[in-house]
Amino acid sequence: MAAGHRQIAKAPAHDKNRWRLITAVHALKLGRHSEARALLTTAMPSAGQILQANAHTRLAQSTFSPENVKGFHGESHERAMGWFYHGMFYWMDGEPDNARACFRTAQLMDALAAQPEHRADWVLLDYLDGYITTKLSRDGSDARTRAQANAGDTALPPYNTKANVMIFLQFGFGPMKKTGGDVGEKIVYNGGRSQARSASITVGGRPVIAPIFDNLTFQASTRGDRAMDAILAKKATIKKAGDLVGDIGVTGGAILASQPETEGAGVALLSAGLVGKIVGGSAEPRADTRTWTNLPQHLSFAALQLPTGTHTAVIEFLDANGIALPDRQKNVSVTVQTGRDTVVFVAD
Amino acid sequence: MFQHQLNSPHGPSVTELRPGERGFVAGLGIESQDLVTISEKMARGILGADPIAKAEGKPVVVLEPINNDTRFPIDKDIFLMLIRDKLLEHAASKITFVAREHMDKLEKERDLKLSGQVTGGEKITGNKFKGADFILTGTFKGISGRGNSGASDYVLYSFQLIDPDTSEIVWGGNHQIKKQGKDDVTYR
Repeated sequence: MAAGHRQIAKAPAHDKNRWRLITAVHALKLGRHSEARALLTTAMPSAGQILQANAHTRLAQSTFSPENVKGFHGESHERAMGWFYHGMFYWMDGEPDNARACFRTAQLMDALAAQPEHRADWVLLDYLDGYITTKLSRDGSDARTRAQANAGDTALPPYNTKANVMIFLQFGFGPMKKTGGDVGEKIVYNGGRSQARSASITVGGRPVIAPIFDNLTFQASTRGDRAMDAILAKKATIKKAGDLVGDIGVTGGAILASQPETEGAGVALLSAGLVGKIVGGSAEPRADTRTWTNLPQHLSFAALQLPTGTHTAVIEFLDANGIALPDRQKNVSVTVQTGRDTVVFVAD
Repeated sequence: MFQHQLNSPHGPSVTELRPGERGFVAGLGIESQDLVTISEKMARGILGADPIAKAEGKPVVVLEPINNDTRFPIDKDIFLMLIRDKLLEHAASKITFVAREHMDKLEKERDLKLSGQVTGGEKITGNKFKGADFILTGTFKGISGRGNSGASDYVLYSFQLIDPDTSEIVWGGNHQIKKQGKDDVTYR
């Protein structure tokens, strides 16, 4: 945590939010929930805020500046995760309808995916929307139907309206951005990884299996082209054209300039080539690959119905064959109160 | 526009606005100007409602938290608090609110009085906490969309005054707001 706060202090203004988000997840894993929440709140725009143009965003669009000079707000999967964690905190506070509001905003972050079938297709967000709606004695079936449609072959657990313990689980290491394209003008995702493919939660000798609801690498890589990518593509064209003119001009100009009869034309071509080299060398089409580096690969969830009091939940992370991964077992103390849900967060 | 500059040459630039004014960081969410507009409209509506306007004596109203069915996390007490405060400011002779949200503290104080640990216990005969003639509550619902051409949010703010004895909704009022906006191209 101390290292995280040092990074926040040290980072340039346009990158502080990324370090706040990274440090928030560290705090969350350490159970320092109020600190995590404060960091998230500082790092993220409010649910309805329009991200406006400023000097940094204008610079990011400039041919001669890379994209990463703009303030960090992450890509759609990162923004969705920020709202997902916010929702979890609201539920912890006993405000499930505000939690649902956050899950809806999280889902909306994914609405810009290029392909219609990938828009707003996070399974857990719709599942929880429907769950909370059902628990609040309303009809949550629409959201659940959407969740199941996007879950494919995974049969989502039925809603138990009497469940009072909500266990949020996350496994593995999430996707990392790297530059792609001819001159770094695209974002491509290095796939995240996770040995765990499900979790077993045992309380009082009764195990419950929590399946995977979402895969963050899938969500990140199905975003498709961003509006910003068109700007970066133009920058890339300028860079490549400049480099090409530079190569032809410098090489051809040098040859022509070496012959007395073509010396004048050669010098002109050489000059044009040098200008091309300068333009090509100065153009900065690089996409912003700054990453919220400690997001998970998978999200999972389970709801339990437990009597009031303190219980020990034994959580095992299971591989693709359903075998418990060694050294990953966690014993979590769960205190159940009357009149509100208990929300627990567990990472592998 | 009322603006009060609080800028110092060495400090951050701050502009103080009235809560009903639209700020320069306006977004699609629920903002202070919405709160002011809606609470004033609802307070007027409640005062004009027959069960309040034609009531004999001062009806007792209890606030119940709003059901938030939008995509915006909100402080669920703030709307009702502002409606209550406007009604108390302008029509305290026509309506009574009871402070149920402070029930624990009130019970503790009453018990202290009754036990004689503090004075005033002799004035308490029987249960003096008032029951509600009406419950004031509300539901917010939203429709949200987001695409390449921008984002839009419609929010319906609906309030009801309910007779707890009959479950009858004796007054209802609503306000609708739709907002549209578009993130800068670098964030789309």
